[in-house]
Amino acid sequence: MVKDWSASVNRIFRTIGGSKRVDKVPFLAFAGEQMICRVTGKTVKELYSSPKIYANAIINTFEFLDTDSINVPSAYAGPSEALAFAEANNKLDAIKWFDYKPLMCKQGVICKSEEDIEKLEIPDHGKNNLWKTTLLTAKMINDKIKFPQVISLSIWSVVQELRGLEAYKDMRRNPDLLLKLCEKIYESQMDVYENWLEIVGMPPNVFIAGYSFNRHMMSFQDAMRYEGQFIKRMMNKIKVPFMLHNCGTSPYFTEVVKEIDFIAVNGSHPLDIEYWIDFKKKNPKIVIIGANIDVSREMFTGTPTDVEEKVKENILNLAPGGRYICCPVCSLPWGVSIPNILAIPKAIEKYGHYPIKVN
Amino acid sequence: MKEEEELLVKLKSAILKGEPNNAIELVNKSINMGIPVKEILNKAILKGAEEAGNLYEKDEYFLPDLLMTGDAINVATDLLKNSLKEKSEIESKGTILIGTVEGDVHDLGKSLVVSLLQGQGFEVVDLGSDVSPEEFLRNAKEISPILIGLSGLMTMSISKMVETVNLLKSENIQSRIIVGGGILSKESCDMIGADDFAKDGWEGVKKINNLIQIKEVKQ
Repeated sequence: MVKDWSASVNRIFRTIGGSKRVDKVPFLAFAGEQMICRVTGKTVKELYSSPKIYANAIINTFEFLDTDSINVPSAYAGPSEALAFAEANNKLDAIKWFDYKPLMCKQGVICKSEEDIEKLEIPDHGKNNLWKTTLLTAKMINDKIKFPQVISLSIWSVVQELRGLEAYKDMRRNPDLLLKLCEKIYESQMDVYENWLEIVGMPPNVFIAGYSFNRHMMSFQDAMRYEGQFIKRMMNKIKVPFMLHNCGTSPYFTEVVKEIDFIAVNGSHPLDIEYWIDFKKKNPKIVIIGANIDVSREMFTGTPTDVEEKVKENILNLAPGGRYICCPVCSLPWGVSIPNILAIPKAIEKYGHYPIKVN
Repeated sequence: MKEEEELLVKLKSAILKGEPNNAIELVNKSINMGIPVKEILNKAILKGAEEAGNLYEKDEYFLPDLLMTGDAINVATDLLKNSLKEKSEIESKGTILIGTVEGDVHDLGKSLVVSLLQGQGFEVVDLGSDVSPEEFLRNAKEISPILIGLSGLMTMSISKMVETVNLLKSENIQSRIIVGGGILSKESCDMIGADDFAKDGWEGVKKINNLIQIKEVKQ
């Protein structure tokens, strides 16, 4: 059966917009390069070899997983952005390629010294091969299945790639230097956005990979200083709703939504469903994309029945009233069984039609 | 006596605040004053590390603070070791082998664990990041560590942890094994076949100490 992407587009974007005209809970999943390779049998370099191959592989994978979402995994302020910086600064030795998973950046190599930060060149994403392919792929998906692609931006994720461990020490011994790096990354992220606008078009939303917003990484004050203030600046320039992703174990969701006007939060922790029930009660206009479905738990070690129970718990507690998107967090790892992933849309079909039957 | 105690209090404070330069100066002064190395280590350095850990648990300290404390501990203990040379006043508590599993280059939590364990008197062999199962095995055979730590941040690292643990066990490596990373849970730890897991660096240090104590009791 051919997938009806227009139904998914309505489901996802109406839920994000808070509309009552939603047929059932949407299913959003992060299928990275690894999952796309697994489903299509192609290597990462084959995927990146042309926008057409990449777009078709992405569409086939997300259709196979029966999701309501679809995204280009390399359009993300992580390894792809590190690659762009590595190329612009002649530091390609920092990059390691793999056959069946995304490239990686050896953290802290690109900005090893203070001088590296001072002299850091901002990449031109319009001239970077991977970014060109990524942007054209996003455009192709927009055109082919009419699914508006969401742009993903970040500051801290890139800081970690470029500066590594030293960034955390800079916070205490040289905060001005660290802020200088954050400024450069902000500039680079805005270049990604400008290229996106030109090639893909206006995104419906911005998805912030806000890794700083976690107690395990830093204090909330530091998260606001080294990432939050830059997100606020992005919001002033990009006039679309922003969503926050944090896949760590102690996220500052409750704190951050008081400071930054996010339309949605996406995470799997805390695992206690009561946290999410309380979050929804206190923030009824904020969409929950999650909530406590952690890919390293039921998804990884359990059975389809375990996954169904977890999805049911989420739907019955968080879907009534809308503004809930079911989403395992974070990226689906290689070892997750396909039946466990497919148990999610099956459980949504069983329990997730509106109006939700709580009993 | 009062002067010696004041010096150790100052050194403890330098460790707690993560001031490596200050720590070097105070360790040198303490050595010159003839304070026994064990006293410098226990009353100032380890005490400072312990207080930093307590503050971390109370959300008054965060990762950047712990890393700075780790730096101060490292320079201080290196200085103490150098001052000893032939005397074995600081006994090694044993050797620990640690690394981030193959395909993962994240080393934040691991680096914190390494510096705090070194400060506690362990010999730590850090294989770095992106370490293959075979490399873990080769080093484990070579140094017979009391414990092996596998670190990983990404969900995809779990499969590599399984592979590494299976290889180590199939080759009859007897060391205790701990896995570390925010992605881990009791369920995934059991599946990997490790003895324990830790979700962050500080928890890792505490659990490693527990595992080693359990092993000593068993022996």
